Amino acid sequence: MAWYDEDSWATAAFAPRGSTIAITFLLAVLLPVLLHQFLYRKATPTTLPSFLLIGPSGSGKTAFLTLTERKAVAQTHTSTAPLGVEVLLPEDYMPQSSHYRSPGDPAYERSRRFLLLDTPGHGKLRHFATKQLANPANVRGIIFVLDAASVAEETGLNETAEYLHDVLLALQKRYTEATTSKGPKEIPVLIAANKMDLFTALPPHLVTQQLEKAISDVRKSRAKGLKDSGRTLGGEDEDLDEEREWLGEGGEGSFEFVQMEEVGTTVTVHGGNVIGGESADVKSWYEWIAAQL
Amino acid sequence: MLDTFEILTTSGVVLWSRRYASVGPHIINSLIRDVFIEERVQPQTEDSGSKPTYRKEGYTLKWTTVKDLGLIFVAVYQSLVHMTWVDKLLDNIRALFVGLYGEQLENKKSSVVNCNKFAPYFERQIQELEGQSDGGSSATGAKLTPPSSTDNESADESVPKINPLQRQQKPLYDTSADSTPVPTPDTSRPTTPAQSHLLTGKAGPGAKLSRRGKKKAAALNSAPVSSGDEASVKRKGKASTKKNRVWGDFGAEEEDPSMVLDYSQSDLRDDAPEAEALEAIDPESWGSRTGKGQFVLKDLDLEMDQIIAEQNAKSQSGTPAASGGGLVGSSLGAIGGLFRNVVGGKTLTDEDLAKPLKGMEEHLLKKNVAREAAVRLCESVKRDLVGLKTSSFTTVESTIRTSMEKALTKILTPTSSLDLLREITTVNTSNRPYVLSIVGVNGVGKSTNLSKIAFFLLQNHHRVLIAAADTFRSGAVEQLRVHVRNLQELSKREGAGHVDLFEKGYGKDAANIAADAVAHAAKEGFNVVLIDTAGRRHNDQRLMSSLEKFAKLAKPDKILMVGEALVGSDSVAQARNFNQSFGPGRGLDGFVISKCDTVGDMVGTLVSMVHATGIPVVFLGVGQHYADLRGLNVGSVCRLLMS
Ligand SMILES: Nc1nc2c(ncn2[C@@H]2O[C@H](COP(=O)(O)OP(=O)(O)OP(=O)(O)O)[C@@H](O)[C@H]2O)c(=O)[nH]1
Ligand SMILES: [Mg+2]
Repeated sequence: MAWYDEDSWATAAFAPRGSTIAITFLLAVLLPVLLHQFLYRKATPTTLPSFLLIGPSGSGKTAFLTLTERKAVAQTHTSTAPLGVEVLLPEDYMPQSSHYRSPGDPAYERSRRFLLLDTPGHGKLRHFATKQLANPANVRGIIFVLDAASVAEETGLNETAEYLHDVLLALQKRYTEATTSKGPKEIPVLIAANKMDLFTALPPHLVTQQLEKAISDVRKSRAKGLKDSGRTLGGEDEDLDEEREWLGEGGEGSFEFVQMEEVGTTVTVHGGNVIGGESADVKSWYEWIAAQL
Repeated sequence: MLDTFEILTTSGVVLWSRRYASVGPHIINSLIRDVFIEERVQPQTEDSGSKPTYRKEGYTLKWTTVKDLGLIFVAVYQSLVHMTWVDKLLDNIRALFVGLYGEQLENKKSSVVNCNKFAPYFERQIQELEGQSDGGSSATGAKLTPPSSTDNESADESVPKINPLQRQQKPLYDTSADSTPVPTPDTSRPTTPAQSHLLTGKAGPGAKLSRRGKKKAAALNSAPVSSGDEASVKRKGKASTKKNRVWGDFGAEEEDPSMVLDYSQSDLRDDAPEAEALEAIDPESWGSRTGKGQFVLKDLDLEMDQIIAEQNAKSQSGTPAASGGGLVGSSLGAIGGLFRNVVGGKTLTDEDLAKPLKGMEEHLLKKNVAREAAVRLCESVKRDLVGLKTSSFTTVESTIRTSMEKALTKILTPTSSLDLLREITTVNTSNRPYVLSIVGVNGVGKSTNLSKIAFFLLQNHHRVLIAAADTFRSGAVEQLRVHVRNLQELSKREGAGHVDLFEKGYGKDAANIAADAVAHAAKEGFNVVLIDTAGRRHNDQRLMSSLEKFAKLAKPDKILMVGEALVGSDSVAQARNFNQSFGPGRGLDGFVISKCDTVGDMVGTLVSMVHATGIPVVFLGVGQHYADLRGLNVGSVCRLLMS
């Protein structure tokens, strides 16, 4: 059957048939839609490595973000919305992957670029952060900012420890629930002990100690606490999955950050201050970021 | 006097601020926390037209927002000072700021907005408005408050309102610029930059919009965008519209709205062919001779008026009805609207949202959310969405859904964690027992839930004393005794903690018994005291008032109210009345919602109670057994409500 035959596709395509009209119509309607979708998808991908800023309210996340973006701290207030900003690693730091590159290389410039994601720290607004944690595409690291002065008191310490516990638990869950044999990409955590300029601030090694102790307590009381309503109200069978999530190693011992390495999370604690003192001192944080890039 | 004015983003970065007296950052922080996040404080409005206010530590805060750009404008001043013009200031500054920096703000990848040139605009606004209010008693002042000022109208009138002032001020300029040519440029000049800028101040769509807006505005109001120059209005009259179009081409050359200072020169040059009289004058020397500062100020005024008018016009033409031109235009607009509704990218208006929100409200009502709470949730969703663009491939309905889920999550999530065990440990370290008491209306399951809590504490090896402070209903003490015996049995079997009953029979004063129980517990080494109280109708004044004395004597660390999941619309009143019954400075600390297993997915009562008081749900009762007590899982409750 040649193309010019009576019932070939070419004739059909020009004949006033129902199917031809339907196909043409569909094409006319769907094409712009698909094109739009295609272009829209294409325009947005952010392949930039990103770092997630998490921490209780008032710890200095937004302040650190503005410092990184404009080399000077802007005044900040409690955040109610997340913010993602494209920034450059400051000149004096060398991204880990670029040690062999010369400074003139455009790839070198590119490797210093990353996305900094700020999240609100208020108790009611942590779902922004949890959502990011649940699906950490492109997240190279998590910067948990805390106020080293407020950690010196019981209430501040408890709030911080609880939040940190939840963050680490989310990371652990992501690791243990992974289906691939290799396990998901590692996501390291930097605990940025901020506000070292205040004389009430605890030094980094004490921050580590206090946090580990407080997280042990949180872990214990979580295990003893009531089950939550999720399963009962959802109408599922409760006894199916009785096991509680337990952060770090089992057993009654106390929690230590090194235990997180087993689940693909290295925890590092560095002190610093975004404002105050003679000037900002966040060198060790940038070094950490550079090491992840 | 104003203490501080700040322009900040919802992500917490201050873009621009002006401080006259130092105000701690915690003042604005607590505004954000109390009003925007926790919605604990309902902002008060004196009358419908004015902006809401918030008071904190002797300061009064007024604010306004631009949602799609995520901007908050806050003015802070001492509560003692009565400031009438702050509303106006906020409106004008908002219009100015959005007009000048709107494009920069749309770049979401950055927190920097280059607005260090904003100060003169702001100063000028302050001067103007302050000047207005100073002369408030004069005839001008009378004109400033139009008899009927609804929300829409005030937008229209914002420009004309300024006019009288400019008229007043004009002599000042004229005298200061005492060189000869003044009269001539004064008639032609002020109008020119005004109108040419109006047409082209913002390149592209901005220009179109403003023209359209202007047409409409002109229909409503004689000449809202004219510079306010009396003479020019008179002289040009109707002709001015036609001329605009010609001048638009000139104006197109300068697109940068921030080049304020150059207007005096460039515009003069542009005008030259039109206004013959100007030819004789060398614009440069003229400008410099006549105290440049004055003219700069004046240009600023003009530019500000245009921007404000333009923004107002824009917000008017934002409704689809206004933007469609003629029959064809409107039907095309309708099709486009339908298309955008499916594909996304539609700017949401009140009307778009009205119907789906009504549906959402019905849905919530079906889930047993009290009407009041449902209405408020829908309002907050509306506030959240009006003026926003739907994102690609999302319908209005699904946008509303997402927003409602967010609102529900926010309302149900507690501000701080509710870890009872930790609280007990903390209190016990100061060598006193932890005191928890339970209140509620009759028959909601106070004693049962108290026993469940006791069981939970026993499992954690606490020594628990249960105090029978229900000395009112016969059988109450016996009922508790049965519970305690069961619990003792259970804890012996499981090797758990220790429990005992403290009772003094019937008829005695409940508050005294509670206080005695606490003292007894401290002496006998119990570390937790659970107090059961008599059930009472929340509208029974006499019984409710005794709760205040109870709170004073027993000093509970935590007061929980038990509410039934079945209760329905009464829940709001219950929660509110109980929350207010403990006297000033003391309220409820949380809710226990009982009988959750009987309502299926109609868990709306949770939302109603939290909505009424801002107090979190601590426990849910989900069955008949001692172990049937649960913490709240916000995510799952939201899912149930939205299903
Ligand atoms: N003394 C001192 N103060 C700091 C430092 N870093 C931040 N601050 C202050 O801490 C306050 C809170 O900082 P933000 O950056 O707004 O806090 P945040 O973590 O973003 O808080 P949320 O947005 O509420 O989650 C601000 O008033 C900062 O000025 C620091 O290194 N030293
Ligand atoms: Mg912040």
